[in-house]
Amino acid sequence: MKLILAGPTGTVEHTADPFHPEQQSRIFAVMDGVRILGLEDEVMYPPTPKAELSDLLRVHSRSYLSELEAFCAQGGGDIDPDTYARTDSWNAARRAAGAGLTAIAALQESGAGVAFVPVRPPGHHAERDRAMGFCLLNNVAVAAAALAEKGERVLIVDWDVHHGNGTQAIFWDEPNVLYVSTHQSPLFPGTGKASEVGGPNAPGLTVNVPLPAGATGDVVRTAIDHVARPVIEEFAPDWVLVSSGFDAHRADPLGELALSSGDFAELAHLVNEFTPRPGRLALFLEGGYDPGALQASVAATLGALLGLSTHPEAPTYGGPGMTEIRTAELDRSRALEKIGTMISSREG
Amino acid sequence: MITSQTIVVGFDGSKDSEAALQWAARLSRATGAKLRIVHAVGLLEHAGMEQHAAPHKEAAMQIAADAGARSDDVEWSVVDGDPCSALLRMTAAADPADLLVVGSRGSAAHGGSLLGSTSLELAEHSTVPVTIVPAAFRDGGGTGE
Repeated sequence: MKLILAGPTGTVEHTADPFHPEQQSRIFAVMDGVRILGLEDEVMYPPTPKAELSDLLRVHSRSYLSELEAFCAQGGGDIDPDTYARTDSWNAARRAAGAGLTAIAALQESGAGVAFVPVRPPGHHAERDRAMGFCLLNNVAVAAAALAEKGERVLIVDWDVHHGNGTQAIFWDEPNVLYVSTHQSPLFPGTGKASEVGGPNAPGLTVNVPLPAGATGDVVRTAIDHVARPVIEEFAPDWVLVSSGFDAHRADPLGELALSSGDFAELAHLVNEFTPRPGRLALFLEGGYDPGALQASVAATLGALLGLSTHPEAPTYGGPGMTEIRTAELDRSRALEKIGTMISSREG
Repeated sequence: MITSQTIVVGFDGSKDSEAALQWAARLSRATGAKLRIVHAVGLLEHAGMEQHAAPHKEAAMQIAADAGARSDDVEWSVVDGDPCSALLRMTAAADPADLLVVGSRGSAAHGGSLLGSTSLELAEHSTVPVTIVPAAFRDGGGTGE
């Protein structure tokens, strides 16, 4: 067995209006990407029960969960200009969050392979007490919090084109979780400055590298390699979870980064270097709204991790962003110095 | 007496946000406070799947002018994010808001739930006073002075 597929979910529930980009068809495109790999018997499909309330309470407030459940039970509606819920969205969201927990459990049992969690609604914008950005429950955070509670050290790499404000906020002051994000800036949700480095109990354990529109794959890889790698190596994660949005692809309608499917293969190789041993890597679907790009990028990413040749598009080079990476390093250093000064003066 | 230096009002082009802007503009005129009109750009608007900010700006500046706000005191800002987060960030900006003003839309339709109601969420999370203006205020529902 090579691939643990915890999902798909969201193929029937949580139906979007026809104009909305966060559609069931995204999951079909993703599954077409998995089929390209021709894995057949090498895929394990564990059953994916819904997350229990106790799992969700690690990252969401009880009042928010009650409100979301009641809102859906009353028929749902628009939560904000981007985000909607339907009668069945509460179940869909719990199923998506549960799939991540299933992926972790299956990896623990097998001790090998890579897990992929193709679910919707996506999760990384959902905050402790707020739905936003198409997200209702924070799927990757639910999985990471379950591990962190057991003392495991969890690295979350978020290569979605949008900053994962929800994940950052949830683990802002959590010393067992390192959050690393590359994202287009300025862009929704408006968070993710390099100077956002974590809370007093986790200084430096939030790493943001905002990048300009047009940034290519080499820029994103450099951002992770130069800014995040030293922090990751010092952190020494037990687990690596990826908020794997594919909307950084150049064909995506919701962002303006310029990655190809081959860039996601390169990013997968890079992230895999941070896993301490086999069976400790899980990728969670976040964004990605162009069906062709989604299919090709999923095939390229998983193919790279499984050692399969999928002939993706060539990696991209030469876009803007190297200056912004240097600026991010400086902003980050200054922010950390400031925190150090504050802690010293408190202790003094 | 409590006075405001910087009033921030959320504007999305809805009738409720027009009422909020009219009230905020009248308060700006009466007190001399700076008026910052904030339009939050979400995922769909960025992708061109919702109306873009430009027409909103024209409408907003006209409402502010009609309500008597001095043009030098009025500023238009387009901010990435959901409306609630974008407005909350304004209270921690370099020139921070000391009063947030929003329309009241949403709470009735959602049975008083915080979900979908920017006004209720702001009231819960804001560290500065929040004024919620009912749509009925627009054009004759009150003077705001």
